Amino acid sequence: MLMTDDSAPFRDAFDQLLATVAEPAWLTTRRRVEMDRFALLGFPTRRQEAWRFTDLEPLTAAPPLPAAGGGDGPAPASLAPWLLPVPTHRLVLVDGRFAPALSAGGALPAGVWLASVAETLRRRPDMLERAFGDGEEAFAALNAALFTDGVVLALEPGVVLETPVEIVHHTTSAAHARLHIALGAGAHATVVETAMGTGAGWGNTVGVITLGAGAMLTHLHVQAEDPAACHTAAVRAVLADQARYEACALITGGRLSRRDVAVTLAGDGAEFRLHGAYLLDGGQEATLSVRADHLGQGCRTEEVVKGVLAGASHGVFLGTVAVAPGADGTDARQLNRNLLLSPQARVDTKPELEILADDVKCSHGATVGSLDDASLFYLQSRGIDPDAARRMLVEAFAAEAIDAAGLPDALAELAHRHLRRWLDGGAS
Amino acid sequence: MSKLLEIRGLRARIANGREVLKGIDLDVAAGEVHAIMGPNGAGKSTLSSVLAGKPGYEVTEGTVRYLGRDLLAMPADERAREGVFLAFQYPVEIPGVNNMYFLRAALNAGRRQRGQAELDAQQFLKAVRDRLKLLDIGDDLLRRAVNVGFSGGEKKRNEIFQMAMLEPKLAILDETDSGLDIDALRAVSDGVNRLRDPARAIVMITHYQRLLDYIVPDRVHVLADGRIVASGDKTFAAELERTGYAYLGDAA
Repeated sequence: MLMTDDSAPFRDAFDQLLATVAEPAWLTTRRRVEMDRFALLGFPTRRQEAWRFTDLEPLTAAPPLPAAGGGDGPAPASLAPWLLPVPTHRLVLVDGRFAPALSAGGALPAGVWLASVAETLRRRPDMLERAFGDGEEAFAALNAALFTDGVVLALEPGVVLETPVEIVHHTTSAAHARLHIALGAGAHATVVETAMGTGAGWGNTVGVITLGAGAMLTHLHVQAEDPAACHTAAVRAVLADQARYEACALITGGRLSRRDVAVTLAGDGAEFRLHGAYLLDGGQEATLSVRADHLGQGCRTEEVVKGVLAGASHGVFLGTVAVAPGADGTDARQLNRNLLLSPQARVDTKPELEILADDVKCSHGATVGSLDDASLFYLQSRGIDPDAARRMLVEAFAAEAIDAAGLPDALAELAHRHLRRWLDGGAS
Repeated sequence: MSKLLEIRGLRARIANGREVLKGIDLDVAAGEVHAIMGPNGAGKSTLSSVLAGKPGYEVTEGTVRYLGRDLLAMPADERAREGVFLAFQYPVEIPGVNNMYFLRAALNAGRRQRGQAELDAQQFLKAVRDRLKLLDIGDDLLRRAVNVGFSGGEKKRNEIFQMAMLEPKLAILDETDSGLDIDALRAVSDGVNRLRDPARAIVMITHYQRLLDYIVPDRVHVLADGRIVASGDKTFAAELERTGYAYLGDAA
């Protein structure tokens, strides 16, 4: 009997990749280790608690493979509606590869490294040598084995990068891209990631974020891939003393999407805020999984996640706040509120606390409801038709999470624009 | 000349529940202010809900003609665009929906219905300023979400402000005086009086005669047990003041 495992479909692409890339020996070794690890782990199954609510069948039945040499990429004009309304340092990845023609890096201030992963590996491989973790989960292992490119942003201590960094992932086949962000002590940066594309592609992204003491990263993620696409992303961040990670995730795209965010509040007084919304329709399924590990003292976590579920869609929120022994003064709040717009829509929500310290303030909550009839009638009694009234209430519900994120104006505008685009697309 | 509002033999019940309106007849002409009074449970709020098209009620008999059209056949939002306005007894708080945004959407929905051009942001703002001035209210209400965090008085004033903006032909004020202290009552009443217009009818539903000291009606009706049992001119209110609903006997 021929033994096969979940890595089988990827082996050809993997061999081809190793044959064509010229990269440091340590990385080739790393890729092999990760490929073997994925072969060992296989795709997660619903028997694993963290994947209990996620149906990976649309992806695992026939996982998209990387297109040789990457796709053609979108017409530049088609990107315009997705871009920030202010000047940015823009990097576009087409099927996981940096596309210089669509990008506009602009002049960088001193102390800023912003380049594709491929360029970084050519010029400063040392920057990435320690940026791959051991013991990855399956999707992250597959990414580490197969990644073709990505973005590296590194700020030296004290550098404040005023201009936002804008990363567009355009995916039509399979893209395994990496995002490495390292901010030195006291450095500030703003990063917007937009995932989009056409057709039944698969974006499998890994983000590795380290924030030095007092560093601050604002990170907006807009996920708006084709309704036939799959999206998996694993983001992990480590925060030193007083560091702040302000994340906002807006999920509207893809047949299947899963975003795993794991934040370690390692230093004292660090702060992690995550706001966001998943807005789904038709047969879409999205999982937002957020884990905050409180190790330092006096750290704060605040999560406000809204779900809007139309059609026969399925939303999942998994939120864990783990407070380690000695992480006194922890202040953590998690709130997940969901709006079901149709009888076929479903939601699973599981906010959890694991508290092993004494002096902590933790709260969590989850709600599932439908649109309020009294509010609908009030709007209609003023002449607003039922569709417009529903839209107004849904927009208000989701916008609350965006507004609570306190994003800079340009980012908030992009997020609201995206929300309206979803509403215009017709939630049934 | 046809009446603005003609109610004939209107019977209605709470959906799958008891009958509340048991045969209402009422004519209201443009320019008139009618007061409908009566004890709790008489059907006053049901009447306003049925006229505004609130879900949860079933009309079992009778007709309501508004400007000659079958009002009951129109959905609630269409009634509003055609000029029917209900000032709620309990205005609804709608978090996240800005008062101005909401009001502009409502105003433009009505204008579209009437074939008028929509107001742009500037024109709208001017209209807002004019009405605020007319009603002598500050603009602090406008920056907030609809009714969220408003005091009882602010909510009622916001209802009257909306009425001023939407310029209805028929305004139904459902217990607009309830829960107001004397200053707020005076402010709200002044607003309503300024909105009296030969082209506009106002139907005030109230439990208390004191409202009629501030907004003097042309006609006063007493609603009891689902029927209008007595009607009169403004002097009738004073008579009721003296006698209460006592002469209504068991019905009250």
